[in-house]
Amino acid sequence: MIEILQWSTLAVCGALAAARIPSARRGENRLLFGILLLMTLAILLSMRAPYVAIDQVLGGRNLANLILRFIIFGAILLVGIRVARAFGASRALKLITGRAGAVALAVAGVAVIVTFLFMDTAGSSAGLVAVAAKDARNAALVEYYGAAGRLYPSYVALVLLPATIGVLRSRLPALIRSAALLLAVGAVAIALSLLFPVIPPELGILRFIVNYTAVLCYVLGLALIWIAKLRAHPSPRNRRPDPAATAPD
Amino acid sequence: MPLPAKAFQHWLHSVAPAMSTADICRISGVKRTTLAQQLVRGKVAESSVVSISRALGLNPLDGLASFESYAGLTGPSRPPTPAELVSQIATTDLLHAVIARTAPGATPTPALRPAPHATSVRNWVDAIDDGDLRHRVSAATGIAPQNFSAQLTANRLSPELAVATSRAAAVGFTGGLVATGLITEAEAGWPPGARQAALDALSDGELTVLAGDRLQALGRTLRRQEQEQAQTEKIWENLG
Repeated sequence: MIEILQWSTLAVCGALAAARIPSARRGENRLLFGILLLMTLAILLSMRAPYVAIDQVLGGRNLANLILRFIIFGAILLVGIRVARAFGASRALKLITGRAGAVALAVAGVAVIVTFLFMDTAGSSAGLVAVAAKDARNAALVEYYGAAGRLYPSYVALVLLPATIGVLRSRLPALIRSAALLLAVGAVAIALSLLFPVIPPELGILRFIVNYTAVLCYVLGLALIWIAKLRAHPSPRNRRPDPAATAPD
Repeated sequence: MPLPAKAFQHWLHSVAPAMSTADICRISGVKRTTLAQQLVRGKVAESSVVSISRALGLNPLDGLASFESYAGLTGPSRPPTPAELVSQIATTDLLHAVIARTAPGATPTPALRPAPHATSVRNWVDAIDDGDLRHRVSAATGIAPQNFSAQLTANRLSPELAVATSRAAAVGFTGGLVATGLITEAEAGWPPGARQAALDALSDGELTVLAGDRLQALGRTLRRQEQEQAQTEKIWENLG
């Protein structure tokens, strides 16, 4: 079940990133391509086999997990800036790029690094399961580390939520409103991840479902906006050349 | 509320007993798949009855009146009020009239374009609204006021609602059917030139205020569209 969810999310993300390669080579919105690439990488690092393989190369001290946290921070920061700008949410943009956003990022980043350094991280283990199993101290540290890692994405997601709902309720084209719905669901899912500590261990699968729902919703939402744009403005490759644009001056 | 398929079959059999469904579709221009789908669902659109009536040389109003829900349409209808007639004149035609009156002879006034026009549904409802019409329609039909408004904004109104609106406003029932484009003025029994006569009967002041109101509404719509377009472009620029 979890494996299927992981692999299909990876496939969707990877396929969308690949689909954007041609437009990225033309220089159209390369940042979006970068965001998708970061998300694909993040999913790859959250899966057991690729995680262990990559972490072994990095020395087998679970450094890959720390890198994963910062990849997620980077991806959510870029998505947050772009969504806030796209939806004309100047307050949200200020909360992300202004002092409050910087403080949130710094607090989360420092907390992640500090808890990581205090852990006994020897032995590659996806999700740090084996590290948590070592003793009570490491188990607590892994819990704090995870909470710190979820803090910043949840902050950005909650900041974006009002503007996203605003677009959802607007009279903009249906594809854009559908995309806003997906982004809103993704944001709620990320915010719900703050509640992970109170989820009983036997319902651990819920954590996976919430995480991958969030990623899938964000990625598909971005894809819908891209589709809407391609429908309205066919890409230059498919457009007939404009004689005025190519005329020598 | 579309017409029940059973009653439709019955009606079709009574007006064109010898014709197959394929023949009916061919002469009326109703797509076979469309009609088949409507029959399967058990609900036939009023517009299908109108098209078939026209093709058979029958008055669409009589065709509709054969059905129980439109039985009231039969018999002489009250003629449209002058305000209803003027509401079915396109904004550009009103503006032409303003120019023709203020600068006579400058430009020849073109003949009025046939109803309906781009905002004919809302203009019709505004023309018959005494201020409380929307609430009465909502109470009579159960439609939520915001859904009714949404239909007006989209320049749409289901035939059933159009008739219910006429009834609630105590005007002839043809106005709404013409405004929604279901039937033509001639089919509604409006005398030719009725709209032009209603327009000519407006004083210069009335005409100018009316044209001004229309322009203002048009300006609001255009502004909103431009804003939405700008918003959409911004979304594409950042996330597309």
